[in-house]
Amino acid sequence: MTFIREIISFFTFSEPNVKVVFLGSLILCAISGLVGTFTFLRKRSLIGDVISHAVLPGIALAFIIGHQKNVLYLIIGATITGWISTYLVEYITRHSKIKSDTAIALILSVFFGIGVLLLTHIQHTGAGSQSGLDQFIFGRASAMNQSDIVLFGSVGIVILVLTLIFFRGFSILSFDEGYANAIGFPIAWLKLILSIITVITVAMGVQAVGVVLMSALLITPAAAARFWTNKIHILAILAVLFASISGIIGSAVSYTYNGMPTGPWIVVIVSLLAFLSAIIGSKTGILKSWNLRRRNNVKILKENTIKLFYALNSEQPDNSGFQFSEIAENARMENTTLRSGLKLLRKEGWLIGNDRQGYQTTEEGKREARAIVRKHRLWELYISKYMHLQPDHVHDDAEGIEHVITPEIERELEEQLDFPKLDPHNSEIPY
Amino acid sequence: MMTGNSVETHNLTVIYNKKPAIWNIDFTLPAGKIIGVMGPNGSGKSTLLKAIMGIIEPNIGYAKIFDKDLDDVRERVSYVPQRQSVDWDFPASVWDVVAMGRYARKGMLKRLSAEDKSIIEESLEKVNMTAFAQRQISQLSGGQQQRVFLARALAQQADIYFMDEPFVGVDAATEEAIINLLKSMRDQGKTLIVVHHDLHTAQDYFEWMVLLNTRLVRVGPVEDVFNQETLTETYGGTLTTLSKVASLLQEKSFPMRHK
Ligand SMILES: Nc1ncnc2c1ncn2[C@@H]1O[C@H](COP(=O)(O)OP(=O)(O)OP(=O)(O)O)[C@@H](O)[C@H]1O
Ligand SMILES: [Mg+2]
Repeated sequence: MTFIREIISFFTFSEPNVKVVFLGSLILCAISGLVGTFTFLRKRSLIGDVISHAVLPGIALAFIIGHQKNVLYLIIGATITGWISTYLVEYITRHSKIKSDTAIALILSVFFGIGVLLLTHIQHTGAGSQSGLDQFIFGRASAMNQSDIVLFGSVGIVILVLTLIFFRGFSILSFDEGYANAIGFPIAWLKLILSIITVITVAMGVQAVGVVLMSALLITPAAAARFWTNKIHILAILAVLFASISGIIGSAVSYTYNGMPTGPWIVVIVSLLAFLSAIIGSKTGILKSWNLRRRNNVKILKENTIKLFYALNSEQPDNSGFQFSEIAENARMENTTLRSGLKLLRKEGWLIGNDRQGYQTTEEGKREARAIVRKHRLWELYISKYMHLQPDHVHDDAEGIEHVITPEIERELEEQLDFPKLDPHNSEIPY
Repeated sequence: MMTGNSVETHNLTVIYNKKPAIWNIDFTLPAGKIIGVMGPNGSGKSTLLKAIMGIIEPNIGYAKIFDKDLDDVRERVSYVPQRQSVDWDFPASVWDVVAMGRYARKGMLKRLSAEDKSIIEESLEKVNMTAFAQRQISQLSGGQQQRVFLARALAQQADIYFMDEPFVGVDAATEEAIINLLKSMRDQGKTLIVVHHDLHTAQDYFEWMVLLNTRLVRVGPVEDVFNQETLTETYGGTLTTLSKVASLLQEKSFPMRHK
């Protein structure tokens, strides 16, 4: 119960500090989602990782020089070392034989190592623990204060405006850099602006999620959004939305359990969103393909069942009702499967009757039965003719293909085969 | 008809990692023609196009287009990159990609006008992709991707088109449709510079040809430069020495001559 009360107290801002934490996490996460969209699209997640680790020495140095925790100094320090790290990675890959992943690993560990060293030093001198510098490793949103929020908010607005202005430029740069260059977009500038924005976003974001998980906050929202849309504008909006939701929930949880780091919670929640998106996302969702497979299975069962009646009807045209056992005799399926097939056909109106009276096809059912047999035999004829297969080899193939042949393909087959009368086994093709 | 020079290069040299990709390329190409650029894999064809268009900064030398600096004629220059050079999983529709062609004139900020939109539709029409306008680019076949890139270049309404292997991965019917399109563009006075691999069709497609193997092997009208001797020179034998020297430069870190 106390948990719920704490949650309620968080969302009603009953303590003044709560509003600060809430707003701060919201702003930082929203910006990360926005800027991260381009990190994701340009496949720069590793660079995001370098920057987020490389801001640590900058933060520590800013602390040593400034003698206290001043968020503006920290951001400036973080931006400088973050920037140097990306520059170094680029320089090394361009001017040596070292590949970019090696350069990234190298720079990341060197900068992070120095950062940890400096932090340890600060903590040993005694000033570190009370200033909460260790929060930068995993992030603690609750350490923010009002003036920090004002700073984050103003920088956030500048970043938002810049991203909107250069959205077209950033998009084309991400898709096809050579073309952007060829049509005269100032790509050197675009890249510079984008990487400055990214470094500043990371420098601020580490306050909420810490250096270890910052790159996840950059990439995951856009990756989650990608499951929902194929439009880049919507991708950016969704990424901001997902990141914001994670920021709010993550900071609420961390507030509720006093002293819990914010970063892991935010990242857990955004990862959860990504996981859910992968399952139910409208574009590539597993749910969608499950649905599709289920629909296909229903279609196949219906068509296979009605096909049984084609044979039965042609043997005994005036039968008033076939018994279940009769139907099951030629069916190459389980009795339970056949039963659900019969049920589906009755619902569809292709069939009337029941186990006692026997089953009888309706006019519509007869038409459907002819249609599926026609597709089957047309396909058999088609592949035996054009792929030079023996007539006794074509049946199994047609068993599968008959269900996917659309009316257009059927028409094409008829035309190419010149409206044939007989299939390769000399059975009649019903029209 | 367009007369005069389309492209002029002077000592154009691009060096990657101390190894020259193109080396001292010096030529002048006419305007209003379909010009083929041919050479084996890795001979610097893509690099040559990029250096002429200023996509990569040459280490030595310079290029001019229509006798002017690139920056003064940028609007008249269009580019069809090698299809594999982009990630087709990018979140964009066919229409979005073709619209990029208009941004060459609109810049980064201006909105597309009704006229721009009708130009985009026309371009799609010309490559027979109208029905696919709203299709996601990840759901296109290789030949369709190629046609999207062509439509994007057409939408630029340029005077000179650089095309990097526009026939790779397209079927025979599409290839014929594309070459007919290129010929009709040529008839309107456009210049087309086309990287190509197929020796059998080269003579039919091109009026002029650049034969390249890091160095310029030959340049001129097809009937003058396209024969057994020049092809052997381009594709085999004598030039392997050249590539050995190029590799040596890299291995031993010799500096290339400067200036
Ligand atoms: N960005 C790069 N960095 C380093 N080397 C490169 C780069 N791009 C190209 N090269 C090298 O330069 C040489 C020429 O490459 P280029 O792509 O111009 O050849 P190409 O003639 O277009 O080849 P293809 O027929 O395979 O397209 C090759 O040896 C290639 O490995
Ligand atoms: Mg190439």
